[in-house]
Amino acid sequence: MTSGLLITFFITAIVLVAAGILAAWLLAPSSFNKQKSQPYECGIPTKGTSWMQFNVGYYLFALLFLIFDVETVFLFPWAVVMKTIGMTAFVEILIFFVIIVLGLAYAWKKQALKWQ
Amino acid sequence: MMSITFHQAVFYFFSAIIVIFSILTVTSKRILRAATFLLFVLLGTAAFYFILNYAFMGALQITLYAGGIVVLIIFSILLTSHVGERFEPIGWGKMIASALVSLIGAGFTLYVLLNADFIPTQAPLPDASVKNIGTALLSYERNGFVLPFEVVSLLLLAAIVGAIVIARKEPHDTENPNNE
Amino acid sequence: MTGLVYDFSVITQSIDHYLVSHWGPSLAATIEFVLVGILYLLIYALVGLMLVYAERRICAFIQCRLGPNRVGPQGIFQTIADFIKLLLKENIRIERADKLLFFVAPFIIIVGSFLAFGTIPFAKGLHALDPDIGLFFIMAATSIGVIGILLAGWSSNSKYSLIGAMRSGAQIVSYELSVGLAIVTMVILTGTLQLSEIIEMQRDGWFIFKGHIPAILSFVILLIAGTAETNRGPFDLAEAESELTAGFHTEYSGIKFAFFFLAEYMNMFVLASVATTLFLGGWMPLHLGNFETFNHVMDFIPPLVWFLVKVFTVIYIIMLFKWTYPRLRIDQLLSLEWKYLLPINLFNLILMSVIVLLGLHF
Repeated sequence: MTSGLLITFFITAIVLVAAGILAAWLLAPSSFNKQKSQPYECGIPTKGTSWMQFNVGYYLFALLFLIFDVETVFLFPWAVVMKTIGMTAFVEILIFFVIIVLGLAYAWKKQALKWQ
Repeated sequence: MMSITFHQAVFYFFSAIIVIFSILTVTSKRILRAATFLLFVLLGTAAFYFILNYAFMGALQITLYAGGIVVLIIFSILLTSHVGERFEPIGWGKMIASALVSLIGAGFTLYVLLNADFIPTQAPLPDASVKNIGTALLSYERNGFVLPFEVVSLLLLAAIVGAIVIARKEPHDTENPNNE
Repeated sequence: MTGLVYDFSVITQSIDHYLVSHWGPSLAATIEFVLVGILYLLIYALVGLMLVYAERRICAFIQCRLGPNRVGPQGIFQTIADFIKLLLKENIRIERADKLLFFVAPFIIIVGSFLAFGTIPFAKGLHALDPDIGLFFIMAATSIGVIGILLAGWSSNSKYSLIGAMRSGAQIVSYELSVGLAIVTMVILTGTLQLSEIIEMQRDGWFIFKGHIPAILSFVILLIAGTAETNRGPFDLAEAESELTAGFHTEYSGIKFAFFFLAEYMNMFVLASVATTLFLGGWMPLHLGNFETFNHVMDFIPPLVWFLVKVFTVIYIIMLFKWTYPRLRIDQLLSLEWKYLLPINLFNLILMSVIVLLGLHF
């Protein structure tokens, strides 16, 4: 039942966008113009391609995010049973946290959290 | 036999999605399109977990793979200098060689699969609720996973250090060191 | 003392009985799926339009203007008129864009926000998706959206779009962590991820009162991080109008632009609903200790009204953020997340577990 509903929501979302685009395709005017189809750039003709190389900083933050995201995912099952298990769970998460915070401290010390 | 159940229909639908987008991922000539197709493959896999009522794994697949790793892949693609260009067509020699290798691999896998005796298990399905996962994760008894759980934190620490060593620029901006 | 029960499951079950008795179980299930789909689609679009109107109106009052007030009484039909206008506008095709990804991006964004929208508990029985991993499912669904943003920005082949998308991406993924950790902090107290159970546990008091210090801290963190994750001001440097035109959706026009706009507002609605459910008791009425009369009067107000009032209060606070604070720079933004919110969050998590261990919560 739940997976059926899930699929319903998935399909409905796609139908929503598709219907909107279809309606616009039927109702909206369409004309071609060389100037109009240029990417916007302050009103001057576009210079070169915009598919260029990017700063490595973005990549570093994405990597750090992924690592902490994995950590958060492990925290979810822990948090659910924390109340019932009690002290043992607390000690286990303290050890887990000390190690993770070491990583965060290392990143801080190495100025990896600073935007460059 | 016309009696395909709802579950089977959904299964075949998502299998088809996974197969089609896997092929598109490796054949696409533009690298960012390939990443997008990979996203659809990963979402299809997540759908399988949901069908199997293993919702935690499904959500995990979406959060980590779709929302984490694909984002990382896109960022790393944008790091490269030739993002917008298409792949050069591959030479015939390479194409034939790789086709041969993948055909042999596929054949071997199919041979093993078709000859294997899959015995339907009589044991009751394990309850994969988050509570049970959490209890097993923190249990230090015989079937507990507390050691892997703690080792994961070490692994993540190693990953942080590795990521910083690889991706950090040298701090050579000595002109304004106090600028945060 | 059961008070009044406004239980929507009575209605949904009677519809279910009617359909099953007329068409049999399998066809009835299909019809129900279609009905749920249409209902949620309408609610989704209507709430989105309402929020856009509310935002324009509130922003106008903060800036000593009137805002839209001509189309209909108090201008309430303004956004519907805008929607029709956007529908009739041309979809400009961008030369040299990656057409396929340009087309796919709005789908990804809407799917992410619509799946999260499906899990919102509006009232008792008015609740479509209620998986036992509830909160985690919402996190998973909202994490898809960022890919849509990155693809939209990249496929436009415009410099503004790409820079906006990269900034958005870095920002959203960073703040997703704090949202997740703030939620985990509350899960320690609830012991469950299922939204309906979480609300049921707040029958004798909302969690923001029950969990006192760490709960209030994580409520504040959730609001800040959530505002940033939904790309709203003062964290809207991804679409900083004065420098990047409109950020990742600069090149989108007509109805496709409307979808990006809609998804942004609905993500805010989902965020406010999660905050309401976790901290403010969802659709539970406000009860004050032993004031029987007061509690009884509060019970008369339907849960749907309670839920919407709470959600719109939270949304009002988020809108106030946008129109009162100046925009952050990207380095300030990232250091706010990684140097302040994340360490505070980790500390708060430990504090919450200590409080739960010692039984200091109410």
